[in-house]
Amino acid sequence: MLGGLTWAVASGVQAQDSIPQGGVRVGITYSPGTRPALVIARGAAAPADSLRAQLERDLDFSDQFELLAAPVSSDRPGEAPDYRAYRALGAELLVTLAGGAGGTDVQLHDVRRGAVVREATIGGVGAGDRRWAVHRAADEIVRWVTGRPGMAATRLLFVQNGQLWRVDADGNGPAQVPSAGRPALSPAWSPDGRRVAYTAFVRSGQPIVLQDLATGERDVVPTTEYGLNITPEFSRDGARLAFAHGTEAGTDVYVFDVAQQGVARLTVGRFSDNLSPTWSPDGGKVAFISTRAGSPQLYWMDADGGNPEVLARFDFGATGQTNAPAWSPDGQSLAFHREVGGTPQLFVLDLGTRAVRQLTGAGRNEDPTWAPDGRHLSFVSTRSGTRQLWVLDVETGRVRQLTTSGGARLPAWSPRLATP
Amino acid sequence: MTIAVGVHDRQPWDPRRAQPRRPLRLAVLAVLLGAAACSRTPPPGAAAPQAAADSVAAAARRDSLAVAARRDSLAAVARRDSAAAAVRADSAARAMREASRADSVRAQVQRDAVEEPAPVRSGLDSASSVDLAASVFFEYNRTDLTEASVTVLERKLRVLQRAPRLVIQVAGHCDERGSDEYNLALGERRAASVKRYLVEHGIAEGRIGVMSYGEERPLDPGHTEEAWAKNRRAEFTVTEGAR
Repeated sequence: MLGGLTWAVASGVQAQDSIPQGGVRVGITYSPGTRPALVIARGAAAPADSLRAQLERDLDFSDQFELLAAPVSSDRPGEAPDYRAYRALGAELLVTLAGGAGGTDVQLHDVRRGAVVREATIGGVGAGDRRWAVHRAADEIVRWVTGRPGMAATRLLFVQNGQLWRVDADGNGPAQVPSAGRPALSPAWSPDGRRVAYTAFVRSGQPIVLQDLATGERDVVPTTEYGLNITPEFSRDGARLAFAHGTEAGTDVYVFDVAQQGVARLTVGRFSDNLSPTWSPDGGKVAFISTRAGSPQLYWMDADGGNPEVLARFDFGATGQTNAPAWSPDGQSLAFHREVGGTPQLFVLDLGTRAVRQLTGAGRNEDPTWAPDGRHLSFVSTRSGTRQLWVLDVETGRVRQLTTSGGARLPAWSPRLATP
Repeated sequence: MTIAVGVHDRQPWDPRRAQPRRPLRLAVLAVLLGAAACSRTPPPGAAAPQAAADSVAAAARRDSLAVAARRDSLAAVARRDSAAAAVRADSAARAMREASRADSVRAQVQRDAVEEPAPVRSGLDSASSVDLAASVFFEYNRTDLTEASVTVLERKLRVLQRAPRLVIQVAGHCDERGSDEYNLALGERRAASVKRYLVEHGIAEGRIGVMSYGEERPLDPGHTEEAWAKNRRAEFTVTEGAR
């Protein structure tokens, strides 16, 4: 874990067990769709406003809470907060921050019960470390309440002006990532968050490059030295990298085994295109795009290439080409874009029911990528006039703009990162 | 990372298509030899001297057939060996080319900048140069050649036939409307469609390379039907010239 971020496990499992029946059962009571009202105290002894503001923003962006504006508080350090005042506001959860010896103490209170249910300490000396420690604290608060961590301590890779860029999930710190080729396209994170695979247009072809994000060290995925090599995606265990290899005879899905350094072919297109593979979380299935029946549509197959089958049927007359599938982290659904009246819109397919739901309607909306919390999608949209990255909460439909400089595309959301 | 794989080239080996050829050919040869040895056996009950003479003649015929068969079979083996040697030499040369190309790709990805290839002198007169450089255009999400494209390609055929040393590259491009990644595959098929036409009309396959830029290099940056039509194209460059 990040140095400087220490979790005081004062409460831990025991604290959870001690929460009485009928009270707020943190981590159990809140079913999806319910958003508990939360307030972050503005105490007299609270640390810098910037830290509080960042935490509030992270919790807001998690879309898991109804955030209430905090009143100026008369709470004193070391004393219990005035729970009655917070109850009167309608708050169910209260977060307090206090400067301590080892950093900033974060406490989560059950307002109705009037008790601390969880606590942790945010350390971190450098500004970057401190920022990331707050992101991780926010993700932990989300986990305390919902049972699953948030996605504040993540970032996205994307393409801008033909080069790789990165930006934190809250829109902070967009920066170029030195990369091979021009353009560099289709970045894909390794599941440990340390490497990126992408297509590099170099003089002699379009290899898939594996790049270490810390050192910048690069290598070429074997067999991708030749021809067109696009749309890489790692399996969730990081052992395999699926990609599409194009030749004069069509484009097909291949899998590179990282340990064996071997490549296997999954599709035999014969002058059709098979591309954009995305793994099921258990690694047993691969969804992909194929033109085998004409226009590009969504298919899936076993991870060894067996049993290919159309997954989301073409709706004649109403919808057109389907592209860019992304399998959700919980394995239950696939997001993709599909043309409606000639304009791409985001859709999500429920694998249980095979029902398809349209998520967007304004402007062009394409190339979705899932956040590790499984409820947020980032995508490219022209709704503001230029091509930008946006974030959509699939559950509530709430959207926010992530980038502001023009031309961003092909986003890839990272796993949770221990360090920035 | 160490690299040790046997799958290479633009048409990687597909286990589902590969067939064991050699054992089959040997089996056919064995059947033929067996048939040659047995078919001339004399019928039982023929007159003795005649039978003896016949049998000598038959034996001679048999021997000569057997010799012929052996000779054929030796020739077949020699042919096979020489073919195998050629394949080996060919694959060794290809392996070397591929290894050096793989090294070159590895070297290229270490750099952040991309070097554009130096223009190659074609040695063609200006009219032929214009014919060879002319782009062909496609309909939306289509890879088949239009009447206009065929006319343009016919002129290229004449140039390529007259200058047999020229090697060209066909680059497929798309308009901005489709998906960025799908357009890369579409551009590859557009280039392949052009190459197929030229190869079917007598140009050696090795003289035409293909690649795709998808929608990454629009000729016209506009967002109109007119701009899109200009951008759905295959471009031609000379990669190996007159000398």
